[in-house]
Amino acid sequence: MNPIPFLFLAGLAFAAPAWAADIYLITHPGLTLTPAQAKEVFLGEKQFAGDQRVVPLDNASAQSEFVRKTFGIDVDKYRTIWTKKSFRDGLNPPAVKADDEAVLATVRSTPGAIGYVTSKPSGVTVLQKY
Amino acid sequence: MKRTILALAGAVAVSGFAQAQSTVDFGTPLAGFADVGYQYSTNRSLAGDNGFNVGNLDFYLTPSFGDRVRTLAELVFEVAEDGSLATDLERLQIGYAFSDAATAWMGRFHTPYGYWNTAYHHGAQLQTSVSRPTFINFEDKGGILPAHAVGLWGTGAVRLGTGWVRYDAYLANGNDIQDGVLDFNQAGDDNGNTMVGGRLGYQFGEGKLRGLLLGIHGYREDVAARDDTGVQLSDTRVNMLGGYFHYEANDWEAIGEYYRFRNDDLTGGTGTHTSWAAFVQVGRLVADRWTPYFRWEKDSLDQTDPYFASMNSGRSYQSYVAGLRFDLNYKAALKAEAYQTDQTDLDVSYSGFRAQFAIRF
Repeated sequence: MNPIPFLFLAGLAFAAPAWAADIYLITHPGLTLTPAQAKEVFLGEKQFAGDQRVVPLDNASAQSEFVRKTFGIDVDKYRTIWTKKSFRDGLNPPAVKADDEAVLATVRSTPGAIGYVTSKPSGVTVLQKY
Repeated sequence: MKRTILALAGAVAVSGFAQAQSTVDFGTPLAGFADVGYQYSTNRSLAGDNGFNVGNLDFYLTPSFGDRVRTLAELVFEVAEDGSLATDLERLQIGYAFSDAATAWMGRFHTPYGYWNTAYHHGAQLQTSVSRPTFINFEDKGGILPAHAVGLWGTGAVRLGTGWVRYDAYLANGNDIQDGVLDFNQAGDDNGNTMVGGRLGYQFGEGKLRGLLLGIHGYREDVAARDDTGVQLSDTRVNMLGGYFHYEANDWEAIGEYYRFRNDDLTGGTGTHTSWAAFVQVGRLVADRWTPYFRWEKDSLDQTDPYFASMNSGRSYQSYVAGLRFDLNYKAALKAEAYQTDQTDLDVSYSGFRAQFAIRF
């Protein structure tokens, strides 16, 4: 038996979780941002959209996927960026919500909120799909 | 003191409890740094006693009040050279964010010059090396610049091309020199001569220069020097102008700062004096956890300048530092470095070794 097809399929099976999850970047319907500006929000470079204060939310169940796909870094590096930002500029990192449901509820109810979820949502604006 | 420690311990406990509940909003997190270490030097009178030492325990809070009002409060506990425990309200700044391009702060803050002073300060775990360059050390630990300021500070960033223009402008109580040590007059200016300064830099966002920050900085103030009985010995107009850079990308980190002084003697009639100070530090992350680094630092201070002549740390020197950092994880680092220092004005040379275990939380 040629082991190569088996190894290839086994490799795919292990690799699948790394690219299976879609990430939907979502905002409260009244918030206007470009995807590039949204990235700046999650790195602490942007706090306002016009006069609107932006409220970023991290999603604990999808954080590592989000920062990998969006910034090409791991969660430790992302947290370090925020430690430096907080220590130097007095900014708070995004509040961390437990899962998609919590992020969706907050984004729907909070003007200026922006977050990300792993399944296609309703009642919010989908800014980008990763 | 005990009440302060108990209150902080309570705050830590509450903060920990809030985060342990679930990964929901954590209100105002309490964060901080701590470090302990060891040092050996061949010249204890200049470098301090040999042996194990306690560094800093640093707590900071960043509460917001509404959309635009921000606060940064930082409290530091450190062991002084005589072994006593000192408490310092390191920063207390309250600010208003007008936009991404402008935030105005008032209070006590880290003086915005160069890169190191505002980026790392008491956050030993953030800085690659064990030690700060000596001439930008804290006022009571060998620094020749005011590391802290009390006053007004405007700061912000504006998009330009693919990068950011970053600026700082400040008005603060002018410093004086008390018994050989720079004092930033946090209770009020002694001579009414306000310190005025600023920093302007460009951070590249894309291309080959991504990760590079280049800037200029400067300040001006009148500094009176007094002896231990309060008698004024001199008055100097300090004019500092210089530049700095920071590069962090592709596992490399490099920092360089340059300060040029052109100080005017206002009372002694000795005229204008020119001095300079600079350092460069380069490090490279290897295998995700190891960072070997090297630093060169030097100052050349005019000993007839009353500003430096009246300062205990105002002697020229040159130093080489080589070290290795190991990150146990992203919150804890072990560091060790060896150094060679030549005190050129004193004609004294010595060497030594420092180690540090630094964490953040």
